[in-house]
Amino acid sequence: MQAVFKRELRAYFLSPLGYIFLSIFLLITGIFFTTGNLISGNSRYLSFLGSILFIFIFIVPLLTMRLLSDEKQKKTDQLLLTSPLGIPEIVVGKFLAALTFFCIGLAVTFLYALVIALHGELDLWETLGGYIGFILLGGTFISVGLFISGLTENQITAAITSFAALLAMWLVNILQNAVPSDAASGLVFSGLMVAAAALWFYLITRNRIVSAALLVLGAAIVFLIHFLDPEFYVGLIGKILSWFSLIDRYRRFSTGIVSLQDTVYYLSFMIFFLYLTVRTLEKRRWN
Amino acid sequence: MIRGENLTKRYGKHCALDAVNFSVRQGEILGFLGPNGAGKSTVMNIITGYLSATEGDVWINDLNVLEHPREVKKCIGYLPEKPPLYPDMTVREYLRFVAEIKGIKKKAFEAEREKIQELVKIGDVRDRLIGNLSKGYQQRVGLAQALIGSPPLLILDEPTVGLDPKQILEIRNLIRSLGKEHTIILSSHILPEVSAVCGRVLIINKGRIVASDSPENLSQRLMGTGKIMLRLSGEESRARSVLEKLEGLNRLSCTGSSEEGSIDFLIEAEKETDIRERIFFACAENGLPILMMRPVDMSLEDIFLHLTTDEKLKELE
Repeated sequence: MQAVFKRELRAYFLSPLGYIFLSIFLLITGIFFTTGNLISGNSRYLSFLGSILFIFIFIVPLLTMRLLSDEKQKKTDQLLLTSPLGIPEIVVGKFLAALTFFCIGLAVTFLYALVIALHGELDLWETLGGYIGFILLGGTFISVGLFISGLTENQITAAITSFAALLAMWLVNILQNAVPSDAASGLVFSGLMVAAAALWFYLITRNRIVSAALLVLGAAIVFLIHFLDPEFYVGLIGKILSWFSLIDRYRRFSTGIVSLQDTVYYLSFMIFFLYLTVRTLEKRRWN
Repeated sequence: MIRGENLTKRYGKHCALDAVNFSVRQGEILGFLGPNGAGKSTVMNIITGYLSATEGDVWINDLNVLEHPREVKKCIGYLPEKPPLYPDMTVREYLRFVAEIKGIKKKAFEAEREKIQELVKIGDVRDRLIGNLSKGYQQRVGLAQALIGSPPLLILDEPTVGLDPKQILEIRNLIRSLGKEHTIILSSHILPEVSAVCGRVLIINKGRIVASDSPENLSQRLMGTGKIMLRLSGEESRARSVLEKLEGLNRLSCTGSSEEGSIDFLIEAEKETDIRERIFFACAENGLPILMMRPVDMSLEDIFLHLTTDEKLKELE
């Protein structure tokens, strides 16, 4: 794991990609800091941190796009996968390298905090909470990007798909308030989910009987819940969408609250996507 | 040392390997011979655990690759068809990286590196970026990578492809000397290469093993249909009348004249007969000087034709 980590981190400093990431990140944060804090004389550092959040959607794909796709294209994955290293070690090594480089970029913004601390009032704990939130959020973004990079051997495809996925997770926030919240729509939504699950099961197993049984069973459960607890379906769509809303959870960090619930959410999100990445690499051997 | 049982690999409906069985003994140099797309690389990728077989198992020292990946992969050094090199690293950095992922201690590697650099002759490029090296040097760095940790089993997929003739000879000699300490499987689509290095040859075609024998026996079997290229000084009609009377002649064709006053023939003898002495005496008696006589090299295509038609004959019988 260490060897992969060291190689990847080094590669960021030797390829233009790492510097493009850093320069875009620092340019945009610099503009925000100058206009939002320096010129307007605002000493609230957290408002700055909150405003640079969305930049990650654009630049994290730059960090993750080549991690796995490039190995496949250059066939160097043959070296890694036939070495005594396990696939989890390779994936975690690459993930940690990207996260470390991300944190290096983040560390440069301490300079801005220093400026505020010298010339205004900096709430240390609030700022610390904001940065911890950034690291966790960055980690989840990187895990998504890493997973997508493992699906393709083209870096550009990986970058664009990761960008779209992260953007979708951001849009979920907006969508959440727009979706219908009454019980009927929740019921229909559940029915559709059950049908989709049965269809997916049929597509991978080609077993009609079991798929049909699954569909019937799922529909029965949906109706049963409807009769036992009609309140369950109120606002269900919004609730489910909010599970994917990574950014919404950041708001609490930016008020200086590091809650266990949100930390666990981010960590489990990362672990889930790292696990998916390992599975896709393992699966590739079989087709 | 290695046993492949009933290996089958399907990509959708396409069958890349069809129930292949083979075994390799300790200390053997085994060659996989076959045209492009025959399934050589697939077999190698399955042995090294890069791919998994749809059916069948590979056992290395009685360990299954899928059940004990770490132990098995530790004893294999693999040079894939395209050497797995990072162009943004120098040779030195790359070799250190490979040693690290193979879990080799720093001190042990320092001593070993000198030896490997000496063996594959990459000492003078060790501080250059791999991306800037020529194909020949890249191939050697790939070989060096496989040798790190001195694994008992070396798997080399077309190790001489893209090298110039001098380098090819060097690498062949290197492989032969490595064969004293390692068990080696190598693949090639060039017959002389395999026969020069390997103790045993497996011929693969369309995912099946069509022949398995020592190179000597294989070429002996092939001698039966050996063609001979003959150049005589003299006129065509007279030479033809002499040659046509030869015992054991199967076919005679004139391929024209490439030297003034001489005539070229392509002679095909009957199966399992060596016709060369008879040609010599017949020509000597009739005063036809032989300017050149050489067996026509069997190309891989000929061998396949030969082997597949042989099998068809057996089926008919």
